[in-house]
Amino acid sequence: MKKLSVIGLVSHREALMEKLMALGAVEITDQEEKLGDDRWKQMVKRDADERTVSEYEGRIAKVSQALDVIDKYGTQKKPLLHTRKPITFPDFKKALEDERSIEEKVGLINSLSARLAELSGAINKTETLKMSLEPWREYDIPLEEQGTKTTDLFLCVAPASADVNLFMKGLEDKVPASLIRLVASDAEQHYFYILSAKTERSFIDEIFRECGFSKIQFSDLSGTVKENIEALEKKSDELAEEKLGIEDTIRSHEVDKQSLELFYDKLIIHRDRADIRQNLLVTESAFSFDGWFPARAESRVSSLLSEMGCYFEIEDPAKGEDTPVLLLNGSFSTAFEAITRLYALPDSRAIDATPYFSLSYAVFFGMMLGDGAYGIIMAVITGLILKKYKLEGMKYRMVKLFFYCGISTAFFGALFGGWFGDIVTVAGKTFFNVDITVPPIWFNPLDDPMKLLIFCFIIGGIHIFIGMGLSAWLSIKDGRPLDAVFDVGLWYLLLIGATLLLIGVIPDVAKWMAIIGAVGILLTAGRNKKGIGKIIGGLGSLYGITGYLSDVLSYSRLLALGLASSVIASVVNTMGSFGGSGIKGVVLMTFAFVVGHTYNFAINGLGSFVHSCRLQYVEFFGKFYESGGEAFQPFGENTKYVDILREEN
Amino acid sequence: MNYLLFENVLFNGIFLAMAGAAMAALAGIGSAIGIGIAGQAAAGVISEDPKKFGQTLILQALPGTQGIYGLLIAFLIMTKISLLGGDGPLEISMAQGAYIFASAVPVGLVGIFSGIAQGKSSAASIMLISKRPEELAKGMVYPAMVETYAVLALLISFLMLNGVQV
Repeated sequence: MKKLSVIGLVSHREALMEKLMALGAVEITDQEEKLGDDRWKQMVKRDADERTVSEYEGRIAKVSQALDVIDKYGTQKKPLLHTRKPITFPDFKKALEDERSIEEKVGLINSLSARLAELSGAINKTETLKMSLEPWREYDIPLEEQGTKTTDLFLCVAPASADVNLFMKGLEDKVPASLIRLVASDAEQHYFYILSAKTERSFIDEIFRECGFSKIQFSDLSGTVKENIEALEKKSDELAEEKLGIEDTIRSHEVDKQSLELFYDKLIIHRDRADIRQNLLVTESAFSFDGWFPARAESRVSSLLSEMGCYFEIEDPAKGEDTPVLLLNGSFSTAFEAITRLYALPDSRAIDATPYFSLSYAVFFGMMLGDGAYGIIMAVITGLILKKYKLEGMKYRMVKLFFYCGISTAFFGALFGGWFGDIVTVAGKTFFNVDITVPPIWFNPLDDPMKLLIFCFIIGGIHIFIGMGLSAWLSIKDGRPLDAVFDVGLWYLLLIGATLLLIGVIPDVAKWMAIIGAVGILLTAGRNKKGIGKIIGGLGSLYGITGYLSDVLSYSRLLALGLASSVIASVVNTMGSFGGSGIKGVVLMTFAFVVGHTYNFAINGLGSFVHSCRLQYVEFFGKFYESGGEAFQPFGENTKYVDILREEN
Repeated sequence: MNYLLFENVLFNGIFLAMAGAAMAALAGIGSAIGIGIAGQAAAGVISEDPKKFGQTLILQALPGTQGIYGLLIAFLIMTKISLLGGDGPLEISMAQGAYIFASAVPVGLVGIFSGIAQGKSSAASIMLISKRPEELAKGMVYPAMVETYAVLALLISFLMLNGVQV
């Protein structure tokens, strides 16, 4: 990372920003700190243009809403993976020549979608009214009739739990001048109409209160219930038809989707260009900004700045200064950056762990999944995706990661002789009654698990030693060679000595290695502490040998998970073979094979991913890795749908 | 009479070996409870944001491995005593049966408790991704820390079982 400070003329600002954005290699930092300084404050002010930004935000929101609507009603299938389509800059410009008509289309689509929402509301309302009229279907007096000169006519409902007969009888007894009829009953309510003399109204009201009955009115309706229901049905049909028509219209705009996407990206670019101005400081006629760019972009950045007539300084960051972090790795390791990123970016002063664990990650994954067929399937699928789609960023890294892991899985599967578990053996025995096995290139872990366990420990030991070595290297690079000797060198001595003693190789040398290491750690580990802390620090550190022990034992999961996937695979195969050799057997075998192996692949693939991560994060990163850096975010074209290609790139 | 019953059924090698297979399969209890706990948390998160279904499902699946490890050992025991073939089980001595039973104890017992603990840890991770969906990997590592002990138990059970000669 290089630090950049620029001063330029305001008249060139727009052009410079446009070019910087196209270059996409400079991060322009926030100038908050300078504005807090009185001397700066007198001269400059923040060059913010919030109104333009919010205006663009509003337009972006509209376009994105229109795109959502098209996606919702459109018939185009969404691609499995979202990729940015490449487009050349002249094409991009040309497609957006008629901006007005695109914006009009956005307005049209949004108003259509608003009308759709209105229609859905109206349909709902109609349906609700229809539902509430439905129980009264048999009531054939027009709804506007409220009685005659001397009688009241009203509709009422009672809860389903009320005793209808008792109520009807009671009413007729108490109020002889009345007529009550039950129209309908359902699970919730009874529906009545009552005709009574106006003079009896107070009696009726009292009985209503006592029995929990209530009157209902359809005050704005006229005609019979049946007529009303028919009318509502018609209306609802009409509304639904209009809705379908509007949906069709929206669908007919699907052809404009691409121009809308281009327009969206253009707005985003302009929004960002307006937004970055708040990181610029301006006077009447000049502006200035600070920023970072990766060292390899130096020539391009400086030629651009001199072309635009800017005054600029480029310097290396001061020792210990926080810089943004950009991970740069070779083609193989790039994929494994995903794992580093999932943990956390390294501190800007620390190192990127990616190149040091890339290979071991693939090896761990392969040993844990350890099935040739699974590996080939994985590698082929991810390989095809990589070939077909132009993926970017995290998606690209993950797919590529699984591509390498697939190759590794196939490799270890071949070493250990696992092809869908033991499908060849089981199928041969069940259907053809022959004994065939696919011989492992190395050995079958089920036959000699101890051998593989020790192999796992050796791999683990190497892995941990690499981590410790990196820690020592960092100390030396930082000018503290003694730390490297005391904190890592002595441990190397002790651990190698103890291991050699354990397996009985050159015990005399090994004994002294272990003793020198242990005593050395005891004496030096507390060197930065005071008084009694010196001794306790040494003891505490020596006790850390249990930590190394458990670290190494932790790699036994390579064996255990490898066994899990191969044994589960053979469980699946055995279950499939229970149907014998007939048609029934073939059907059962096919079923068990497809379902069982899919399941095994999914669950053990997940397990292998998680546990490979764990081995890196806990056992390896713990030895040296310092995280906490901020990602490098260059000022560039953060488009969503297209990737704009320029000739010079 | 009772003595004979003990002799013939309970202290019979095949019975003990089968009890071992059953013991190993008990690890499924832990997975079931653990996945249940994680599922409750996941359903809560989905009620707010249905798009996280895939992520929560991955985390919910993590405590499921104990049951699989149990199944694995149970299956290996059954193959060892030829219970699955058509020819009927091998005649094994009471001592051999007892060894096999002992080998199943780690995976069964550790499976039960680690499955429950891992379920709680998964549930917490599900809450984590409800607020920070980009931290899925870290959320997966915490339950994986618990699983280490189920893996170790599986390994011990496997090595013990592998050492028993029948």
